[in-house]
Amino acid sequence: MNEIFRYRAPTSRAELLSLLVAHGEGAKVLAGGTDLLVDIRNGLVRPELVINLKKVEEFAGLSWSQSDGLVIGPTVTVNQLLAHAKVQSSYPLLVDCALTIASHQLRNRATVVGNIAHASPGADMAPGLLCLGARVVIASQRGQRELPLKDFFTGVKRTVLAPDEIIEAITVPTAAVAARGSYSKLKRIDGHDLALVGVAVTNNDGAVSVGISSAAPTPVLIEGLTDEDPADSVVAAAQRAIHPISDLRCSKDYREYMVEVYVRRLFEEVR
Amino acid sequence: MWMSVEVNGHLYEREVAEHWTLLRFLREDLELTGTKDGCSAGECGACTVMLNGEAVNACMVLAVEADGASVETIEAEAVDGELSAIQEAFARNFAVQCGYCTAGMVMSVRELLRHNPKPTVAQIKDGIEGNLCRCTGYQQIIEAVLDASGQLTAETKGELRYV
Repeated sequence: MNEIFRYRAPTSRAELLSLLVAHGEGAKVLAGGTDLLVDIRNGLVRPELVINLKKVEEFAGLSWSQSDGLVIGPTVTVNQLLAHAKVQSSYPLLVDCALTIASHQLRNRATVVGNIAHASPGADMAPGLLCLGARVVIASQRGQRELPLKDFFTGVKRTVLAPDEIIEAITVPTAAVAARGSYSKLKRIDGHDLALVGVAVTNNDGAVSVGISSAAPTPVLIEGLTDEDPADSVVAAAQRAIHPISDLRCSKDYREYMVEVYVRRLFEEVR
Repeated sequence: MWMSVEVNGHLYEREVAEHWTLLRFLREDLELTGTKDGCSAGECGACTVMLNGEAVNACMVLAVEADGASVETIEAEAVDGELSAIQEAFARNFAVQCGYCTAGMVMSVRELLRHNPKPTVAQIKDGIEGNLCRCTGYQQIIEAVLDASGQLTAETKGELRYV
């Protein structure tokens, strides 16, 4: 990598937030680095300052409690999520999603929050987190705010985050423990690949949600369905919510077709 | 930035450019060229090294992120000229052809066997999914991992024809 930038590794949340205010758009935060360093190398972003989050101790938390649910800090890696006993026992959908991300050695670095913050249309954690009602906790020197994940994405690699803001945590409510469902990711090969489409369907006490990646400018969530709906109407709701494109991985038509196949299959499994 | 890092048991303290990757630092500064640069984008795994005991793509880590860390590379795999069990198994099963992927492959296999000493063929394929090999077609590498984990028999070798 030949692109020159400066580097800071703040050790407290307060120091980090003041760096974001001081450097604004010129700063990029580094957690796992598996998206940022590729984007810098390809000239897609040219930060003057790279801020490593991994020395901020309070950002490394991964915990579960009855009152707060699952709380995932911004430097928690995908493999740390996969190794967490409560995630394994109570959030199997998140395990499904996490295991499809890249390769083992990338999952040792890549973070769960980074997968969301990067806002790729194909983010593999997004369909699961959307179906489970995840929320995003955002911090800046101006204070803290929180919003549902479904309101976080605004476009391809675009989010509601202002330059002085950072995701402090992604939370998954306790109520989501009761949700049954799984994630299916269509790839060109058996190994490490980006999704052609990714679909998660959950049933939480009769309420059905569908989360879809790689089929619109952002990951999408379809709510308000029930397990008594006809499969055709669930498929139709999914088809209305997506806006796929043709790209080097596959055509728009194929994406539409496979969303139908996966939504129907996963809905029949959980109804 | 001034940093200190332990690589293969030796402590190095020096000034490192902040935009250098760990891969570039290992190869160009420490001249440990066993770790290879394939894609520089986290796709091929040729640069896989152990960072604080976990396999990572060295092209996806800034050198300065390794400040205070311990790194192990393929150069530490053989001890006093004696190949490790994984290297022996690679040699015995013809799992090396051009050799470009081998250093990273061995690191990934080491990580796999640390978590799972007796992996199935499916688990081996998952374990090396981040490492591309364009010569062997993977069959000999999978056989080498079965061998290194004491599982290579006439039957498992036969099964592999169909993977």
